Amino acid sequence: MAPRDRAASDRRAFLTRGRASPASAVAPGMAPTPAMAMAMAPELQLVQSELGLATEVAEAWIALHLPALVLESLTHGSVPAAAAPPLAIFEPGGSMPRLVAVDAAARARGVVPGLTLAAALALAPALDARPRQPRRERALLARLAEACFAFTPRVSLEPPDGLLLEVRGSLGLFGGAAALCEAVQARCGALGLGARHALAPTPLAALALARAGRAVAITGSERLVGALAALPLALLRWPPSTLARLESMGVRTCGEALRLPRAGFARRFGRGMLEDLDRLVGRRPDLRRPFVARAAFRGRCEPSFELEHHEAILRHLEPLLASLESFLRSRQAAVCLLRLRLGHRPDPHDASVRATPLELRLAAPEFSAARFGALLGEHLARLVLPAPVIRIGLRSGELQPLAAQSGALWRPGEHGGGGARESPALIERLRARLGAGAVYALCLVPEHRPERAWQVAEPSGLHEPGAPAGPRGRRPLWLLKTPQHLGQGIRSLRLLEGPERIETGWWDGQDVARDYYVARDCAGAKLWIFRERLPPNEWFLHGVFG
Amino acid sequence: MSLLKGNSLAQLLEHPAIWRGRSAARIDTLSTGFRALDEGLPGGGWPRIGLTEILAPRHGVGELRLLLPLLARLAAVSPPRWVVWIAPPFEPYAPALAAHGVCVERQLVVRTETPLWAMEQALDSGACELALAWVRRAQPRSLRRLQLAAGRGRTPGFLFRALTTACEASPAELRVLYEPDEAGATLRLLKSRGGVRTPIGIRWEDGDGAA
Repeated sequence: MAPRDRAASDRRAFLTRGRASPASAVAPGMAPTPAMAMAMAPELQLVQSELGLATEVAEAWIALHLPALVLESLTHGSVPAAAAPPLAIFEPGGSMPRLVAVDAAARARGVVPGLTLAAALALAPALDARPRQPRRERALLARLAEACFAFTPRVSLEPPDGLLLEVRGSLGLFGGAAALCEAVQARCGALGLGARHALAPTPLAALALARAGRAVAITGSERLVGALAALPLALLRWPPSTLARLESMGVRTCGEALRLPRAGFARRFGRGMLEDLDRLVGRRPDLRRPFVARAAFRGRCEPSFELEHHEAILRHLEPLLASLESFLRSRQAAVCLLRLRLGHRPDPHDASVRATPLELRLAAPEFSAARFGALLGEHLARLVLPAPVIRIGLRSGELQPLAAQSGALWRPGEHGGGGARESPALIERLRARLGAGAVYALCLVPEHRPERAWQVAEPSGLHEPGAPAGPRGRRPLWLLKTPQHLGQGIRSLRLLEGPERIETGWWDGQDVARDYYVARDCAGAKLWIFRERLPPNEWFLHGVFG
Repeated sequence: MSLLKGNSLAQLLEHPAIWRGRSAARIDTLSTGFRALDEGLPGGGWPRIGLTEILAPRHGVGELRLLLPLLARLAAVSPPRWVVWIAPPFEPYAPALAAHGVCVERQLVVRTETPLWAMEQALDSGACELALAWVRRAQPRSLRRLQLAAGRGRTPGFLFRALTTACEASPAELRVLYEPDEAGATLRLLKSRGGVRTPIGIRWEDGDGAA
């Protein structure tokens, strides 16, 4: 353990040993870090063991800055068409909407953010100008935050375009700061997001470094001030008036601002600014509201063209299913139910055609995107769409904790290989094609009426054999679903055994009063027939002794 | 070189992948539970992997009873796996199965118009101890698919077919012609890897003849 780490753990250890005072909200073990404890009870005196500042906290924050989020939020989830027109996004409202983001094709035509919409359209008449959608930006940011639960449980949003991960505890697991940053970047790339990252001991410093595009990893606070010194103050996103006044004083970088006398700085710009500077370098704790994940998955995708074939729908579903899988994985959860909603283009002639719902029910909780894809493919292949699909929505049912299973050593059928994993898969595949009612298990019911002595059961799980059934009369291996009226056919049968009288069920109105016989027909098959005891005493065929 | 030793040819011929006409190839089998039948079948039982066809004149003449001893024995197998019944002609009657010692909870019934597809899925998945299917018409090509699927999933599959299909070609491992008689049945092996040619007579244990 490095000396720093040991010191840090000493401090935490002290907190866990501390006494809970009734007046304060802090109890031993309650606050994970001294910084949090301070924030919960500012009057708390932190007793330091041997070293410096109480507020110097061993934390490591990765900041993710998403410079193209505005653009990505509108193009995300749709497969880009081959010859798409240049895209620009403007901030709606006001008399002169201005562009906030443009794609590469638009930039090549001289359209840059900041132009008015009218000017941009004059430059590129074919421009595809869309209004900014802050809700979609937030949703996309939240999705990235959920994906980042793979790295740490402490994730917080930094709207509109940032994300913060506290990764002190994850550094060892992921093989160091550089490897962890790489993994986080790879996750962003998998989601189709271009991100800049930086790792620093304080959230604000990490954000400023990420916004500046410095992909650095600073784990010790002694290097922090040096790394921040050259950064422009604008990266802190202070109010423009404050920045303008600082600039008029010749203060443009963080280093210059930090060198200003503290008292004077506070008097001129307010305590808030000074506290911001303190948070930047770690002199004050910086508490972040943790991001809380959703309780169920909900995703949608709007393809850029109409989908008519189930293969195309399935292809567009794949990214949704992949994000569902990472959603479930990050929660160690699985689902038994998926709801798919295929939105159709509104039909002017038939207002009832709006959307086709599709439900996927699984025999066992599942999380794998490949499995979902295969099963949805079977369902989609059976589906007849009334109109082309322009929108796909996917929602998960209730999450269920995932019981981790280890893979079997043997293949099923070999030595001790059971079909634990394969059997739910088989049942789902059969049900996807044939319908849920076509695949069922059997179970016994203690009942004298022959047709009620068994029942269709849900093939949920395989059981060890139950207690053997008690002795009964002779029963046929095959039962007819409904007894078949014999009519004159009884004349050709020869009775072998019987009668066995079954007269019961008066309590539920489905009473039977029958005399059962074993008979043989002229072709040699053995039949189970009965005669109604009530007039007109008809004969029925009820079973076949296979 | 072991091949040059005196008994090397005999050793080579014992390899499971090699069988010659009437020679008794060593194949993995499951006992049928009927002594006469076990003695007549190559390897002493139903093929452990692959397709077996049972050709009966009609449904419900006792052809299912042929498999009851095997089904009853599977009840004790652990870990439990499904026995799949694909497109059976009637409802398998659970109390009667239980009375014969079959584990009712492990039976899975599949109702379908496309029994061959369901059979292929069941055999291929490896999730089943046994797969039974009642098939009306089948091309040799689709039967070949089933045979291959049974090999992949290492599962025994039983097809119940009509007597009229006896003259059709089939890639099945074993084809049995089933004819019920007074207190049992007479079986003929239409196709087998070295089974007996003479008819095999079996008697139901409880004297409970199907015909």
